Amino acid sequence: MSSPASEARLEPFRLRGANFNLLVLRLLDPRVEVIVPALADQFRRAPGFLRNAPIVLGLDDLDPVAAPDFNDLTAQLRAVQIAPIGTTGGGPELRAAAQAAGLPPLRAAGGETPQPIAQPAPVPIPEPLPPSGWQPTLVVDQAVRAGQRIWAQGGDLVVRGTVNPGAEVIADGNVHVYGTLRGRAIAGGADNLNARIFALNFEPELVSIAGYYAVRDGLGDAPLGRPVQVCLIGESMRFDRLG
Amino acid sequence: MAQVVVVTSGKGGVGKTTSSAAFATGLAQAGKKTVVIDFDVGLRNLDLIMGVERRVVFDIVNVISGEAKLNQALIRDKRVDTLSILPASQTRDKDALTKEGVATIIEELSKDFDFILCDSPAGIEKGAMLALYFADQAVVVTNPEVSSVRDSDRILGVLQSKSKRAEEKKDPVKEHLLVTRYDPARVERGEMLKLEDVQDILRIPLLGVIPESESVLKASNTGNPVILDGESQAGQAYKDAVARFLGEDRPMRFIEAEKRGFFSRLFGGRAA
Repeated sequence: MSSPASEARLEPFRLRGANFNLLVLRLLDPRVEVIVPALADQFRRAPGFLRNAPIVLGLDDLDPVAAPDFNDLTAQLRAVQIAPIGTTGGGPELRAAAQAAGLPPLRAAGGETPQPIAQPAPVPIPEPLPPSGWQPTLVVDQAVRAGQRIWAQGGDLVVRGTVNPGAEVIADGNVHVYGTLRGRAIAGGADNLNARIFALNFEPELVSIAGYYAVRDGLGDAPLGRPVQVCLIGESMRFDRLG
Repeated sequence: MAQVVVVTSGKGGVGKTTSSAAFATGLAQAGKKTVVIDFDVGLRNLDLIMGVERRVVFDIVNVISGEAKLNQALIRDKRVDTLSILPASQTRDKDALTKEGVATIIEELSKDFDFILCDSPAGIEKGAMLALYFADQAVVVTNPEVSSVRDSDRILGVLQSKSKRAEEKKDPVKEHLLVTRYDPARVERGEMLKLEDVQDILRIPLLGVIPESESVLKASNTGNPVILDGESQAGQAYKDAVARFLGEDRPMRFIEAEKRGFFSRLFGGRAA
């Protein structure tokens, strides 16, 4: 077993291919003085939405001979904290002009270029993205047994079986247990105060939401043995019977 | 192809070795060629319970390290001729066992036997891991008390994640629950977990319930697997469990407290 440090000494870097999801800013008008104010207007409602976002300029819809001033465009986009990193599509002249301004042509995965659109359309607003790092719900179909720990990183956790004593189920979002919750359930990671815990049969060792927790002895008059929802009201935990 | 069956529990003292000895003997009595391996290197007990301790020359560690051939280490049982025992070493520790060594032994035994029973040591350390790694089926031995149930639950999780079948993403290890030292009278008084409570947590099919019985200790001390004692309830319960393991349908016995009559209460007779 070699430590990462010793590996680093043998090998200064590694070159690896990787795929990224990038936003494409499809230019419909070559005039910089039109593009930038329109962008600013579009995103006034969501300030910072594109802040420091790497972006690819789409050239397909531009007139092949009327190249925008890429140097000026780059500078103005950077001024509103949008970082153009390259171009996609467009004719050879457009690509050459962009390359001269330090924007290399990127090839879409699979070599397909985006379909040009016939009519000038408003700058497309991407679907509101969920918070970064959001993950789909993790579903566990078996019983979670003593000593096992399941963590739904950055999302919700659904357990269809029971969570046995000595087991731990953790989610950065909500925890649902469609069996008996006898072990520990931890929802909301470190800071999601709105996270909740749901259990069809509530017999936990410990429940915790966003760092606030209650052990079995501290559950007081919680409806044990019933379907229960746990949520956080201020700094105290509330246990409500479901159904 | 032989079936590899691990007898395991997590917790110590619940009756793994007693159950291994009884089970192996029962399978052999049913005509299956059976070998039982003691994985508890350093604390070997199986040979004592099987009554072969005076015939041990070589053990599993000798075979793994190449000091003896497998045939030299196997001990033929004198009561049931389809039964063999591969003893553990008393003097070495569990690090002497290797995955490759155990794999070779199990492969070789597979050629001659129908069932390979692995008597696991307690705990979840190396010996226990190796005992369950190659398993096709598992008999999880549990006492009706919370700590034993918790440890069995832990072992079930290990079986589902660390066994060879789990690693190779094959069909999961087939699990059987064997509840031992069950005392219906104490269950009725609330001193022991009910059978339903144990099943509710572990949620694996029930293979059998072995009642608490004085005959078990007597059998262990004389080196006769308790299943050979057809008079005792424990022996009969093991026979039922082996029959169920081989696919027979038998009703559970000895799980209700006996209604003691006036005379037996007066004279304090005990179930054998």
